[in-house]
Amino acid sequence: MPILLPILLALACAPLAYVAGRWRTGAAAWTGALGALVALGALVHEWTTQGPSRLVLPWAPTWGLSLEFTRDGLSGLYAALALGVGALVVLYSRAYMPHHLAEEGRPARDEVRFQGLILAFMAAMVLLVTVDDLLLLFVALDLTTIISYLLIGFDREDPESRAAALLSLVLTGATSVVFFAGAMTLGLQYGTFSLPLVIERAAHDPASTGALVCLAVGALGKSAQVPFHFWLPRAMAAPTPVSSYLHSAAMVAAGVFLLQRLYPLFAPATEVRDGLLAIGFLSMGMGSLMALVADPFKRVLAYSTIAQYGYALVLVALGSEGAPLYVAAHAPCKAALFLTVGAITQVTGKKKLSEVSGLRHSLPVLAGASAIAAAGLSAVPLTEGFFKDEVFFAALVPKGPAFMAAGLVGAGMTLAYTLRLWWGLFGGPRQDVPAAPRLLVAPVVVLAGLILLGGLVPGLLVEPARAAAEAMRGEPSTLELAYHFDARPENLLAVGAWVLGALLFATRHAWTPALSRVLEAASRVGAERGYRLLLHQLDRLSTWLHEKEVRDLRDRVASVLVPTGLLGLAVLGVTPLRDRFKVGPVGWADVTLVMALAFASAAALATLRAKGHLRLVLLISCVGFSLAMVFAFAAAPDVALTSVLVETTFTLLFAGLLALLPEDRLRRAQEEAQKPRGRDRLAAGVAGASAFLLSWSALSHLHADRVGTRTVELAEIAHSPNVVAAVLTDFRGLDTVGEMSVVVAALLGVTSLLGLKKGRR
Amino acid sequence: MRSFVPPLSRLLLWPSLIIALALWLKGGASVGGGFPAGAFAGLAVLLQYVTVGRDQARRYVAVRYAAPLAGVGLLLVVGTAFMPVLAGYAPMSLFPRPGQPELGAGGLHLHTALIFEGGLMLIVFGLVVTVIDRFALRTGTEEESGP
Repeated sequence: MPILLPILLALACAPLAYVAGRWRTGAAAWTGALGALVALGALVHEWTTQGPSRLVLPWAPTWGLSLEFTRDGLSGLYAALALGVGALVVLYSRAYMPHHLAEEGRPARDEVRFQGLILAFMAAMVLLVTVDDLLLLFVALDLTTIISYLLIGFDREDPESRAAALLSLVLTGATSVVFFAGAMTLGLQYGTFSLPLVIERAAHDPASTGALVCLAVGALGKSAQVPFHFWLPRAMAAPTPVSSYLHSAAMVAAGVFLLQRLYPLFAPATEVRDGLLAIGFLSMGMGSLMALVADPFKRVLAYSTIAQYGYALVLVALGSEGAPLYVAAHAPCKAALFLTVGAITQVTGKKKLSEVSGLRHSLPVLAGASAIAAAGLSAVPLTEGFFKDEVFFAALVPKGPAFMAAGLVGAGMTLAYTLRLWWGLFGGPRQDVPAAPRLLVAPVVVLAGLILLGGLVPGLLVEPARAAAEAMRGEPSTLELAYHFDARPENLLAVGAWVLGALLFATRHAWTPALSRVLEAASRVGAERGYRLLLHQLDRLSTWLHEKEVRDLRDRVASVLVPTGLLGLAVLGVTPLRDRFKVGPVGWADVTLVMALAFASAAALATLRAKGHLRLVLLISCVGFSLAMVFAFAAAPDVALTSVLVETTFTLLFAGLLALLPEDRLRRAQEEAQKPRGRDRLAAGVAGASAFLLSWSALSHLHADRVGTRTVELAEIAHSPNVVAAVLTDFRGLDTVGEMSVVVAALLGVTSLLGLKKGRR
Repeated sequence: MRSFVPPLSRLLLWPSLIIALALWLKGGASVGGGFPAGAFAGLAVLLQYVTVGRDQARRYVAVRYAAPLAGVGLLLVVGTAFMPVLAGYAPMSLFPRPGQPELGAGGLHLHTALIFEGGLMLIVFGLVVTVIDRFALRTGTEEESGP
């Protein structure tokens, strides 16, 4: 199982780091980073020596379900990103978290938990990019959602953090449920969840638009695209290592990754791709504008992430082979910038651009490294970022001047806000601050080195980018990355973007106030407001239903019985009616049975008029005992024995329960029960009629002889002459396991409820 | 006048438990099984609670640890159901398989169904005894702190 090796290594990181952290808090980070690097090494080694392959582990073969994993260009590229950036972020957290935890007033040992969560997220991400099966894709997607909730809300004492975590959980969780709906539709349409099979069958029979839209919604939610974008800026309440990992290389990348993985399904659906294109441009424009005016550093980067994933979305929608490269080139730049602002917040204690300036004198190494990262983000030559814009422009050129203009403006704004961020931090009047710890700066330097390396030797990028593009589009890729010194449209657009960016930056004092006012006004009617309104209405609906249900005990019982009864009647209504209700013969031999049944019915009727709860309990147990008698007459001693024992226990416990209830409450319930309301009669009628008709219909269809003889034969073979025992333990054993779990759950409920009440006294 | 009921009920405990065990062991062959066995044993303990009170009844280890016993029962049930999966069988495969010879004499046959039924017995016993114990606890404290 060679494909699984990197996944297993990634999965092992979090537990290993936890164990190491129990020994020494600091050891967790080093163990985790080492584990991530080993997993990365295994991935690279396998990729270079063995090339692409797949692995199928059967899971539930009768349902055509299996666990499928793949090693192709896409999974390799994204897994390498997740593992590499993950290792650096873990090391950075070693320097960042102690300070952060001390500020939050939490014990230093909590760092181990943090590292464990980051590593667990890394493993979930590696799993997500490696699976090749729609169901597993959904499972891995939700794993990342859940862990990201824990990470974003890591500062659990901080209400803003908790709200941000909940918002991201609700949005990404809800959209991933939509993704699941899409995946199920595809699975039912093609009869399999295996992605290669689905794609193969979709070649003849294109996927339905509805399913594709569902899949796209899941991806858009994850990648924080319009209209689901607003969770991302909120999520900046998380500790900075979380932002730098989840919101550059991992979580937001997952959405675009999904679209790339599923691209062959989207390829023929032009309308869906046009929609994605529009959303991509919209996110790009909105994110860039917000990034131009935002004041907190992390918000600038968050809006920039929305914009940059908008670019990636445009590339996917255009079916460009540069889409995977774009994400891969963007992630290290963005991660490095996040790590930079985290370091600055740690040494200065400030979080806003308006509060800092001129840090280049105190933090020269950080300034240099982050300058490279910023250059990468804004696509300056000699960094790998240059090629992300080159593929972007190359994809837009064939679409015509309007697209080229939009791309130029987008790229220009990218340069403007990146310059604004970097200059705001490091330029301007000098401020002196203490030096940053070396471990805090080192990951930024490493990332900057990689960004430069990719820019200086673009040949290194070509092969992974081609492999990923091939995996995405299913056809050989001819992607070329090189510097050309001529007047081709890509180069002209790049030059135009730099000029525009520089102009925007130079004139920023002139337009910033007006733009912030416009954006402020726009945010009042934005998607976030719609989301809040929706949530508020849902909340009101649920409160209303709840109040209807719990008004009194009878309503609460009715709210269970009436829907069940209606369901039963509906089932009877839709099934064919022939021979539904038969009246069987009654002979003299059945007299004892009839007598016992008559006694049971009489007892049941008597409960209607009973006064006093104890009498009621005794009457109900009369019903039970006479049914036990019926079983005894019907030659079913096993059932009769169990009935008698259960009835006895039930009666005694019920009587004991009555002693626990307050006297006046019991009396009031009695009085109410003597005066049934109209809706009580109706509820009782529906529930009773449904139960009666269902039983009658079921008993009319008994093939008693056939089933009975066969069961007795099978019971003998199963070494259990007692047929009831054979049914319970063998034929229907799994049902019994389920029932027993319910009994244990009831036991836990009793223990906690009655124990808790006592404690409250 | 001293009632003859408490000493008699104390005498009855052990025979009842032995009958419960018998119900469990012969469940595969004739009337019985884990469920009635657990309910029967629970009723025997209930009798103790009613006649001699909670403190006296809780002298027995099985009564004090009734809830954990139910947990053990669930482990037995789930274990019997899903351990065969590890060996490549379908869930809920019992051994010996149909057609294989079985060990045993008279009404007692060694079969993994017995473990399963034992789990059922422990769960039912644990539930009944725990509920009784909680009721007794609540009514007991109410009397002490009541008006």
